[in-house]
Amino acid sequence: MAKHYAMVIQLKKCLGCQACTVACKFENKVPDGQYRTKSPAIGPSGTYPHVKVFFEKQACQMCQDAPCVKVCPTTASHYNKDGLVLIDSHKCVGCKYCMTACPYDARFINKNTGTADKCTFCYDTRITKGEKPGCVSTCVGGALLFGDANDPQSEVARYLATHRTEVRKARFGTRPSVHYDYEGVK
Amino acid sequence: MDITWGAGAANPVIWGWLIAVYLFLAGIAGGAFLTASLTDLFKKNGPAKVIRSGAFLAPVAIIVGLGLLVFDLGRPLSFWKLIFNVNFGSVMSIGVFIISIFTVLSLVYAYLVWASVKVGGKVQVRVGRAASEAAVAEAGGTAGGREIVAILGALFALGTATYTGFLLSAVSTNVFWSTHLPGISGVPFLPFLFLVSALSTGLAATLIGAGKCEDLTLYKKIDIVLMVIEILLVAVLYASVRSVFFSGNLAVLFWLGVVVIGLLLPLLFSLYGVSRHKNLVVPTCGMVVIGGLALRCFVVYAGQLFK
Repeated sequence: MAKHYAMVIQLKKCLGCQACTVACKFENKVPDGQYRTKSPAIGPSGTYPHVKVFFEKQACQMCQDAPCVKVCPTTASHYNKDGLVLIDSHKCVGCKYCMTACPYDARFINKNTGTADKCTFCYDTRITKGEKPGCVSTCVGGALLFGDANDPQSEVARYLATHRTEVRKARFGTRPSVHYDYEGVK
Repeated sequence: MDITWGAGAANPVIWGWLIAVYLFLAGIAGGAFLTASLTDLFKKNGPAKVIRSGAFLAPVAIIVGLGLLVFDLGRPLSFWKLIFNVNFGSVMSIGVFIISIFTVLSLVYAYLVWASVKVGGKVQVRVGRAASEAAVAEAGGTAGGREIVAILGALFALGTATYTGFLLSAVSTNVFWSTHLPGISGVPFLPFLFLVSALSTGLAATLIGAGKCEDLTLYKKIDIVLMVIEILLVAVLYASVRSVFFSGNLAVLFWLGVVVIGLLLPLLFSLYGVSRHKNLVVPTCGMVVIGGLALRCFVVYAGQLFK
């Protein structure tokens, strides 16, 4: 069976330490001022004593029905054999059509290359070597789970089977592979 | 909401004014070509100045527009990859071929119009009788070719003008751009709006370029019809999407640029001066052109600023 890499984010375990943001920076040599992953604070919302704040890790959602792949005029944005959305930078001309289509603002034009750039789940540098993405490995609170959702024994598959999770902006029907467990923060 | 911790939100405007002007110029090119070619095909002894103006304007507008588009790319020098890597599911990929073919046809048509003017001039001024017959035969030969180029070019001009709408409406995750015709969920709205605006602005720009002409009554009447249709379409758009898209700074652009300068004032001027008052042609057409630019800017920005 083909692999389907997925990520689960347990928001109640996130401290907002930004270790994932930094790990991604040095794993992927992302230019200054640009980000493949961000974890902005959502809130604070409410009034005392019911004030809430949480951190939401935001990056490419690895959609299985990806708007960016559909609109890309050169097939630079594509699905790879493991179900990930990746960019072939040799084919990309930097037209930004994918950026207008992505509802998650996950993409940017890399200042150095002029091509579209985004999270790859560290596919080339880590996954193919049997490691987990940089952000998952470094996460201080253990908020990030990663694995093959098609393998029922994987940590991710077991978590998804037993917890109520959501995908962001489900109304667009993009079928993301990144799942959010908002229990305890919303 | 302010970001209190973590990296801030990215600039929401991904396609800026360069793309808005490109969409506007592609519309001008399509409309100008249609004005020239349809005059050439259907109006025997139609005003030659109109044919010449539209035929020359179309390639200039589309090439300048494409220049802006290429300049806006992250890697401008790699634009040729758009031709060798095709995605038939992508509106932009299909558009690359429509616009490329249109650009070539508009250049050929401009050359044929230019050449016939030259030949015509020679016949009258300098050459003797035998040479004149040869020249007339040659001009006749190119006239047949010109007809084919005019017909094919008109089809691709329609394609180009409509494509600029499909480019935006195909972004299904953009609520504003992907607005559909009221009641018909499968049919996008923008291609219709941009096509009518392209015809209107292309005709207006062509008339400005034609300068003083004998009889423009037909063109003025067509322009009035186009403006009325466009007013209806803009009203439908206003009624069918959330009012947030018409708020903030964009409210001025929409109400003053698109509605007043682009539609209402030129319509009043046109109705007043439909057959007389030739001196109203340039200001009226000028406002139509400015309104078309305002419309492209408004749609491009509104879709990205409000989600």
